[in-house]
Amino acid sequence: MIARPFRHERPTDLDAALAVLADAGTGARVLGGGTLLVPEMVAGECAPTHVLDLGRLGLDPVRLEGGDVVLAATATYADVLVHPAVAAEAPLLAAMAAGVTGGVQLLNAATLAGSACQAAPGSDAPGTLVALDARMRLASTAGVREVAAQDFFVDAFRTALQPHELLLEIAVPCTGGRSSGYVKLKHSASSWPIATSACLLSVDGSRVRVAIGAAGPVPVVLETDAEPGAAFVAAEVASLLEVTWDDVLADAAYRRRVAPVAARRALEKAGLTP
Amino acid sequence: MTTDVATTHVGARTRRLRGDAFLTGRARYVGDIRPAGTLHLAILRSPHAHARIRHVDLDAARELPGVVAVLDGVGAAELADPLPHFVDPATFGGRSVDVRCLALGEVSYAGQPVAAVAAESIHDAEAALAAIGVDYEVLPHVLDAVEALEPGAPRAYADWPDNVVLAGSYTEGDVDEELAASEHVLTTTMTIQRYSQQPMETRGYIGTWDEQTQRMTLHGSCQNPHPLRAVLATALRLGEEQVHVVVPDVGGAFGLKMHGHAEEPLVCVMSRLTGRPVRWTERRSDCLLIGGREQHHTVTVGFEADGTVRALRDDLVANVGALGAAPGWGMAYLTALAFPTGYAIRTVDARFRIVATNKSPWNASRGYGKEATNLMMERVMDLVARELGLDPAEVRHRNLIPDDAFPYKTTAGLNIDSGQYHLALDRVLELVDEPAVRREQRDQPMDATVRTGLGIAFELTPEAGGTPGTLVGGFDTSTVRMAPSGQVTVLTGVTTPGGGNDTGIAQIVADRLGLSPADISIVQGDTDRCPYGFGNFSGRSMVVGGSASALAADDIAERLRAVAAAMLGGDADDVVLRDGRAWCGDRSLPVEDVARTVYSEAFGVADAVTPALESTRVYKPDNLTFVPDDRGRPQTYPTYSYAVHVAIVDVDVETGITSLRRFGVVHDCGTIINPTLVEGQMHGAVAMGVGAALMESIVHGDDGRLVTDRLKRYLMPRAGDLPDIEIEHLVTPSPFTLLGAKGAGEAGVGGALSAVVGAVDDALAPLGVTLDRLPLTPPTVLEAIHAAAVERPHA
Repeated sequence: MIARPFRHERPTDLDAALAVLADAGTGARVLGGGTLLVPEMVAGECAPTHVLDLGRLGLDPVRLEGGDVVLAATATYADVLVHPAVAAEAPLLAAMAAGVTGGVQLLNAATLAGSACQAAPGSDAPGTLVALDARMRLASTAGVREVAAQDFFVDAFRTALQPHELLLEIAVPCTGGRSSGYVKLKHSASSWPIATSACLLSVDGSRVRVAIGAAGPVPVVLETDAEPGAAFVAAEVASLLEVTWDDVLADAAYRRRVAPVAARRALEKAGLTP
Repeated sequence: MTTDVATTHVGARTRRLRGDAFLTGRARYVGDIRPAGTLHLAILRSPHAHARIRHVDLDAARELPGVVAVLDGVGAAELADPLPHFVDPATFGGRSVDVRCLALGEVSYAGQPVAAVAAESIHDAEAALAAIGVDYEVLPHVLDAVEALEPGAPRAYADWPDNVVLAGSYTEGDVDEELAASEHVLTTTMTIQRYSQQPMETRGYIGTWDEQTQRMTLHGSCQNPHPLRAVLATALRLGEEQVHVVVPDVGGAFGLKMHGHAEEPLVCVMSRLTGRPVRWTERRSDCLLIGGREQHHTVTVGFEADGTVRALRDDLVANVGALGAAPGWGMAYLTALAFPTGYAIRTVDARFRIVATNKSPWNASRGYGKEATNLMMERVMDLVARELGLDPAEVRHRNLIPDDAFPYKTTAGLNIDSGQYHLALDRVLELVDEPAVRREQRDQPMDATVRTGLGIAFELTPEAGGTPGTLVGGFDTSTVRMAPSGQVTVLTGVTTPGGGNDTGIAQIVADRLGLSPADISIVQGDTDRCPYGFGNFSGRSMVVGGSASALAADDIAERLRAVAAAMLGGDADDVVLRDGRAWCGDRSLPVEDVARTVYSEAFGVADAVTPALESTRVYKPDNLTFVPDDRGRPQTYPTYSYAVHVAIVDVDVETGITSLRRFGVVHDCGTIINPTLVEGQMHGAVAMGVGAALMESIVHGDDGRLVTDRLKRYLMPRAGDLPDIEIEHLVTPSPFTLLGAKGAGEAGVGGALSAVVGAVDDALAPLGVTLDRLPLTPPTVLEAIHAAAVERPHA
């Protein structure tokens, strides 16, 4: 039950959508699938004056464009899972989406961009987007700017997105069949992620990029020689996690202990046994 | 005293009555009842764990759109009295408080209802809450029960001298002497978290005051309509007959829907105030306020080298939060009463201290405290086995009550009816192929990332209880009616929380009347229609409700047989009711013809019988007495189901994550009315116990506010967390109940909880880990592994 009245805006073109954000400023919230926003509104945790619903913009959810897999703001996890371009060119992203909790109903509604904008520390998408070095395209009436995923996630529940901006697209560089691995640790089937690790081998196979999500307020990245030693990975991850996330499901001490385990297991999955 | 009736339907996997209604959305829950003109109720709850209410300002809220009535505790006290307690601690010599529908003067937990708004829509009602101004004087609060026992601790209630609700013990023999004489003694502690149950359908009520008839109707998702009627009558200052409670289909209860909730009278008060129906629906966050089960145990046992336990002392401190009028606090009392479960230990001291704090109140939770006793007894058996290097199954065999000792009176005075405990233990080990798991464990290297554990739990569940001095009556009443058409209606005082006991009752009645269960209509949960009864709790529905229905059906059958004999020309004793017909030798008549004849030929062929195809019978089980024995103990449970559970887990020692790989249970609830229904109960209860062991935990912040206010914070097992639950039945009928049934609704939680905890403990024992708090979340387990590594660096 949502106690506060609000305007539900469902424009059919992008300019109109961006105009809503320009006019409403901090009072607006963007509705992708609504799986995060609606519960927040029901709980009274936010009370937007305007809800901008992207449902009728007619965005192509997934397309291949100049060496990128481009995911629109409306791309759901189901889109990510079924689109052959993702499977072929960004299998790490598909591996992440396959582990999202919530069943078919959630996968069909929740969007990758929505999860990114929420920037919840204990979530699936941010770490993988950082591992893939995705570029976030932020649109406003002033135009479109690109921000690297690593810079997009500023703090827990805070992104580089300005109030008048929309995360219009996420461009994920094609990785083809390069080795990658994804591991998520969570308590049980319904739990939020407690630590995620996504790793990707460089084009020439000499380096590996490992992003640890859910363990800190924002993902942390380790770039190292391919096939690093286990002790090295553990030490690096521990030092990268200057601040560790702490919530009712898992305290900071636990996340600090298991983040290196997740990192090592992702490397093992990628065939890069540390 | 089982009666001799052909059991065509009893024991069969009869499909659920009205199963189609549940599957196709035609079941009617309280949310589906929408009287015209209904107002919606929103409740302003205290943000403080403990405070004095100086003043409540309702004026601004009253002026808001859609708002029809606004009420605070002062206004409510003019219209309603405190709710009578379901089970008042004062009855047992403890402390009590007045529980009101809206707080008057003092709030004793964050979440306590302070003011209420009735409005045209739930949106208007919720929005108006923000306009209510409450001036609080914040008082010191206490959240931890052990702290609450310390001298000088803040008091949960400002006018109490300390925080103890009730303390006592169940003692037999000289424990100190026996401990001193034992070859071995060990002590261990266990902190059990606060957890509860979360039915898919939360609570909900509609109060409707009829000015013309001066009657109040409450439609509610409730477990005990008749006792609730009495409670509402008292609280609302009405006669009992002025209150009508109707319980439609219920989507799960598990104790949560036993009465004593502020919202039950509150919707009625608001309806009387406005002259319109008033609805309140519980949100998940409200539902998670209601707690249960939080206990801290210290147990000491003395035992011999062969594993025989000579003496046991358990000291429990229960944190029941603020006192509610619901029966939650009594669970801690039952934990102490249930020691030492099914083990033949003759020297026992089970002490309890029930402590009030400024957490939200408890309500009953399936297992009703007995699950904690099972947990502590199974901890004892495992630790004794480990200390002695014995097989944990062997230690249980050494201590379980032998088959030839029944009926067996425990040290707390419970008279256990019957059982084959040793056979059940052997059978379940065979079911899960225990030797193969033990071989696998032996082959696991010390540095294995994943360690396998096997946990065994014997579970005793005293069922179908009654409590002296309360409306936990222990008996129940059913009416069976056959119309001239031959159609049968059963009206009974037991209710179904959604588990399907109506189907079981139909099977029992069908057998006695020679009909099919589909021919029987069951009416439950309506205080104007059904005979007086106590509703649903304590695995009682078949034991007492089914038996009362059987007795009433037997009365009808006797009259049918007499009339059929007259019609067929034979002897009533030779008439058999079967397949919808009355048979006398090879001659037969449809039962409906006999029924019609009873009504239409009362002065003719049916003259020999009283022409009433209606009977109301009460069933009081044997082996239940409120008269104290020579040591002052009443015997409050007539029958005792039991089970032996085995859990097999894999624990990832790098992450602390436990995976439940296999779960087997051999269960004996006496005579089985419907195996499918019994297995359904066991599946749900096992899931609940697994959740208790591994994840479910209600957490309050230091300020006393609820942190786990949604199911992404209060984790419960999903299908993917559970293996197939493998069940085998043993049938040892109770000699003390009419049907030999022992009840099946309550068992399973304690067994699954204990087996899973035992399995994790078993997996980690080689690492020197000691588990002393629940739930066994990955952080808790990993912390225990690290602590053991620090303590025993060479392990």
